[in-house]
Amino acid sequence: MIGDDRRRAIRWISASAALFVLAGLLLPLAGPSSLDLARAWAGEEPDRSILVQLRVSRTLLGLFGGGALALAGALFQAMLRDALATPYTLGVSTGASLGAVIAIALGWHTVAGVPGVWAGALGGALLVLLLVVSAASKQRHVSAFGLLLAGVATNSVCSALILLVHGLSGMSQSYAISRWLIGGLDAIDYPALSAFIAIVCALAAVVVRQARRWNLLAVGEAWAATRGADVGRLMTMGYLSGSLLAGMTVALTGPIGFIGLVVPHLVRARVSADDRVLMPCAFLLGGVLLASCDALGRVVLSPAEVPAGAVTACIGGPYLIWLVRRRL
Amino acid sequence: MTKRLQVRDVGWSAGSRRILERVSFDVAPGELVALMGRNGAGKSTLLDIVAGLRSSAEGEILLDERSAREWTPTQRARLVSHLPQTVRADLTLTVEQLVLMGRYPHADGWFESAGDRDAAAQAMAECECEAFRGRRVSTLSGGERQRVLLAACLAQRPKLLLLDEPATFLDVDQQLHCFSLLRKQAEDGAACLAVTHDLNLALTFCNRILVLAEGTLARDVSTARALDDPAWLSLFSPRLEIARTPAGRPWVCFQ
Repeated sequence: MIGDDRRRAIRWISASAALFVLAGLLLPLAGPSSLDLARAWAGEEPDRSILVQLRVSRTLLGLFGGGALALAGALFQAMLRDALATPYTLGVSTGASLGAVIAIALGWHTVAGVPGVWAGALGGALLVLLLVVSAASKQRHVSAFGLLLAGVATNSVCSALILLVHGLSGMSQSYAISRWLIGGLDAIDYPALSAFIAIVCALAAVVVRQARRWNLLAVGEAWAATRGADVGRLMTMGYLSGSLLAGMTVALTGPIGFIGLVVPHLVRARVSADDRVLMPCAFLLGGVLLASCDALGRVVLSPAEVPAGAVTACIGGPYLIWLVRRRL
Repeated sequence: MTKRLQVRDVGWSAGSRRILERVSFDVAPGELVALMGRNGAGKSTLLDIVAGLRSSAEGEILLDERSAREWTPTQRARLVSHLPQTVRADLTLTVEQLVLMGRYPHADGWFESAGDRDAAAQAMAECECEAFRGRRVSTLSGGERQRVLLAACLAQRPKLLLLDEPATFLDVDQQLHCFSLLRKQAEDGAACLAVTHDLNLALTFCNRILVLAEGTLARDVSTARALDDPAWLSLFSPRLEIARTPAGRPWVCFQ
């Protein structure tokens, strides 16, 4: 009996990790233009550039971005005790979107050496982060209700502003804004990608280490407090890490939906609701799902590309309906 | 004898409304004390304050004769367990996972130790919920869920048990089982403070009944002397009277 849970947890996490690695090895091979691995390995162009500069970087962005979104979703579902919470519930992603949309509308190509859209999105995300934290911490302690209220209010203001900016911008900007708001993966240069992966891994480690505390919070704030957890600090920490994970990913990929909702639900239903298993598995499988959706989008209407955000929505929407129907 | 819990001049306001006014009492190890009063008398608020959930309350709480403010959250959770009135019903965790949470203040590792598992298994046996240990909490009935929550509290191995209506949703047999269990916890040296509305359960199993009325501690009744001065019953309802069972115990009847 003893250790049964532990063995099961290790088995599931290892299986998810294996899938994650496998996706990283195989998905770069999928794409509209045929690729000769032998030529790429020998360093011959254009095969080498297509593989290394385009496919591999994009797959890695999908793996770690999807992981960040799924983990942030699982975290917010535990913190807010709401099965329908997503990384976007607490406003950061809408803030990031608003920043990106403004950057597109104003035609900022680069800001301080980075693409203007990233800079705008990061700025928007940080601004919302500060707003929500200061609004929520005006009360004596940060509570799920306070965060939810501040987040939902921020969401609606930012959404309204996005529509306004969108409406006021010209044709070509308007197209770029619509395309960005669907969310999708693009090739990314390696210095930016490695910085992203390093920060995502550090934040994920911080979050997953606290898994037993998220379990307590998922039952209730009073429940967690009377079992020795510092609820106020935990909520602030969780909000900051989850929002940074989501905000950074949205800055690079646009607001890709459903990964943060579907993956934690799937793991909870099929594997375990224990965050010690749920969170690592959600991270790894979220990455696999986003990278796979992106690869699918590359080939399904080739040579046209379907953005990953559209593919995840097409898969996530029906899944959600099926989930709700099964519960009724 | 040392006092496990000392409540000193505790007061609380919700906005401009005064909920509790200078409430003071003690609970010693070995005592099972009922906290009673009409709806809105401040019972749950007082229990929350003792549990440390409302840090801005006036007055002072002492645990083992040391001010509650001096305890770290973990130290406090090893000593005190709190059974909430209810928790969300849609939990997808299994019964065993929920009960194991009681071990949180005792375990440092990522996974619970064999000792933690033993404590949880014993608590589940005591609360008669082993039969559904593998089920998800969301699939349980209200009474089954209540027993699981009590098991989670017992798995914490607390020296002070704070229980907010532990017998809600329970069938009569389980109500008796629950209070017998609390009685046994007290006899093994724990101090128990339980909010309840059932006067006869309190008279049968508890040492004392604390009656809250309009935010103050109106009476501190020893159940052994409940028959001496039955005036305290009028704090609950004018339609009550107290009698003796054939075994000689006090029993509250409705008019």
